[in-house]
Amino acid sequence: MDTDTVGARATSPDDVVRVSCIRHSYEDGTSVHLCGLDFVARRGERTVLLGPNGSGKTTMLYHVLGLLRSREGSVRVFGKDPATEWASIRGRVGVVLQNVDEQLLAPTVLDDVAFTPRQYGLGEPEALARAHAALELLGIDDLAPRVPHNLSGGEKRKVALAGALVMEPDLLVLDEPFEGLDPRSRVELVSLIRTQAREKGVCVIMSTHDIDSVHELADYCYVLKPGGEIALEGTPEQIFAHADDIARSNIRPPILAELFNRLREIDPSTPQAQLDVEKAAAALAAWGRGR
Amino acid sequence: MSHLHIPDGVLPVWLWVAGWVATLAAVTVAGRVAERVDVRRRVPLLAVVSALMLVAMSSEIVPIAYHINLTVVGGVLLGPALSIIASFIVEVVLALLGHGGITVLGLNTLIIAGEMVLGWALFRGLVNLAGRSRVRLIAFVATVVTLAVTTTALVGIVAIGGSGATARESGALDPATLRFDNPFSRGVFSLGLFSGGEDHGHAEREQHTVEAVEDEQGPDETGLSVGRFAAVIYTLGPIGWAIEALLTAWLLGYVAQVRPGLIWGGHWQRSGGRMPGDEGTVN
Amino acid sequence: MDVGAIDRSATLGTGPLRSADPRSKLVALALVLGAVLVSWNALVLASFTIALLAASVWGRLPVGLAIRLAAYPAVFALVFAFASAPDAMTASVIVLKATTAALGAVTVVLSTPYPQVFAPLQRITPGIVGDAMLMTYRSLFILLEKFSNLLRAARLRAGLAGKNPVRSARVVFSALGGLMLYAVDLAQRDYDIMRVRGYEGRLRTTPAGSTNRLADVTILVGSLVMLATSVVWRSAATTLNPYSWLAPLPALAALGLTFALRRG
Repeated sequence: MDTDTVGARATSPDDVVRVSCIRHSYEDGTSVHLCGLDFVARRGERTVLLGPNGSGKTTMLYHVLGLLRSREGSVRVFGKDPATEWASIRGRVGVVLQNVDEQLLAPTVLDDVAFTPRQYGLGEPEALARAHAALELLGIDDLAPRVPHNLSGGEKRKVALAGALVMEPDLLVLDEPFEGLDPRSRVELVSLIRTQAREKGVCVIMSTHDIDSVHELADYCYVLKPGGEIALEGTPEQIFAHADDIARSNIRPPILAELFNRLREIDPSTPQAQLDVEKAAAALAAWGRGR
Repeated sequence: MSHLHIPDGVLPVWLWVAGWVATLAAVTVAGRVAERVDVRRRVPLLAVVSALMLVAMSSEIVPIAYHINLTVVGGVLLGPALSIIASFIVEVVLALLGHGGITVLGLNTLIIAGEMVLGWALFRGLVNLAGRSRVRLIAFVATVVTLAVTTTALVGIVAIGGSGATARESGALDPATLRFDNPFSRGVFSLGLFSGGEDHGHAEREQHTVEAVEDEQGPDETGLSVGRFAAVIYTLGPIGWAIEALLTAWLLGYVAQVRPGLIWGGHWQRSGGRMPGDEGTVN
Repeated sequence: MDVGAIDRSATLGTGPLRSADPRSKLVALALVLGAVLVSWNALVLASFTIALLAASVWGRLPVGLAIRLAAYPAVFALVFAFASAPDAMTASVIVLKATTAALGAVTVVLSTPYPQVFAPLQRITPGIVGDAMLMTYRSLFILLEKFSNLLRAARLRAGLAGKNPVRSARVVFSALGGLMLYAVDLAQRDYDIMRVRGYEGRLRTTPAGSTNRLADVTILVGSLVMLATSVVWRSAATTLNPYSWLAPLPALAALGLTFALRRG
């Protein structure tokens, strides 16, 4: 699959984020060059950045948040440059960064979730009401009086997410959002994020190297190569249909995609790869009966 | 020995109250100065350096009653205004953990703040004289000089307040009067109930103690011994200074090597560290 | 520094001290400090120490941890006493003053989440000081954990360095060096987070009230009794009078009673 078989995405009125060919150089001389395809994220869509360690996923997200400023290329969020005009868009953006331990700033869970509304000058009753609503949304209202650093990793992540959702953002940026979550919380969170995108029209950007769940996380994916080039884009099915291109990006394909690809090498009549266990089982069963 | 491990209630009230007043004034002024620059940039660094000092102070070297303080390192990283705030924060947390006295918190803050500011000034001054290539030597010298000066200030505080602090109670502390009489055989607590006042120590003691005690020490001889205190401090202290100075030299040398921007100004700029998760980035 | 254990005790347990109003506890601490300042009688001070232990038993606090924390300043007080006190009685008074005051502070800290302890200070200091204080406590947890990890890693890699003081000091030094770089980067990431979360220069805490009025009253009355004892004893008996041994008795009785109640 060439990078252009799926094609760079055309401009659409639903575009929330567009990043073209940025380069960031660090003090020690190394640089991350996020060129190749434009990175586009749209309203109501979950966009996933996939890539191995060191491919620049976090660097990309930091540019979107205006925490890094690129010397080349352009970054547009709601049509503005986040590095210089952050104040005008920050109320529309919710963020959970990778190390949640460091992200919880306030002394108690309730205070932390109420942090942003208070900073925006909402009255105390409204700030607290919003905080409680966000905690309830995540099903962690009972954690309200607790001190954040005593929580488990999964609980901290949920608190951080409540803090990101409290202002009902239009853009939600999540760096490795499922790390440290037990399977049940994970399923809950995946469904919560889907609801945010589908029903509230939130634009969600996530980074992950959890390949096996990409099909349930993503509406659209970007695959980064080591060193930072955006190598592939497309829906999960499009991306994982071609194992060779994926392997070149140092990414192990989802176990089901790998299974279908191996089967196809043995028997070309193998059906189209399915990334969902239920669908894969049904497809393989039907194929088996057909033989 | 950089802050007072003097328990609450040993120093005279005027001294520790003055310490508190001076500290609150200094912290207020430093806070105003610090707030003129982007606060969001300063709060995290201030908090992290204060926490770093607390981590260092949490490990005690018991035989010499010394613990690492990282005051000079903190001073160099924070500069004078933030140093004053950091020393106050450090002392508040320590006092709450039972580590230092609450009444002496003000004096302790002044000593630590003095140490940080002096360390910073000496380091800066010596760098201007000797150049940036001798960071380790400069840090070592600056630390030893700073600690010697502040230790002397500490002895000075004990000298100002120490002798007066306990002399007034000489009689009350005489082991010869420690007896276990039956309260029901004589009038309990009646004697001296209305004659209170510590100034009458000698006269009352004769009424109080049932048997006359052969103790005619004057107040001055029974006060805290500043000379002995100074002797102990100046004997044990230099071992601590040497440890602290070696550590400071090593740390500042290390930082000058890997993150020079932190020491030579510009520590508000983004450091060279990678984004978390992008540690393996290659060119 | 066992900050983790202190914090768990403050935030997770139950008991009358934890349900009391943080403000009553701080007022009580001030009264106890007053008592410690006034008294120069070793036995009266000892009775305060025992009474505070009884309070922590009553409040279901980890008594062992409280004693361990209060013993820390006692070591320094011992050095100070040895260095400056004229006699053994003065020395013991100095050590007892340190221990009692520390025990008072520790009792409050073990029963009150730190935001509530800092809140009054936050109100009287400039914005940056209060915020930095709250952030310091938070950073302290992160750094202590990192430090113990670095130390463990350094020890594992250095083999049996612990036997050799110079090498072991080197291990600690290099761990502190690593910690410092980590801390500086942490400050940068904190700044990033504060920026994206819209920090404008005030961390706020939701005030916590009392859920147990009786506990508030008990704490305040108890500390008032201590202060009164201290003042009366000092003004009435300037010497260590022959009946001083009576002072610790009620405190011991209280300690026994609270132990019995806690068991029962």
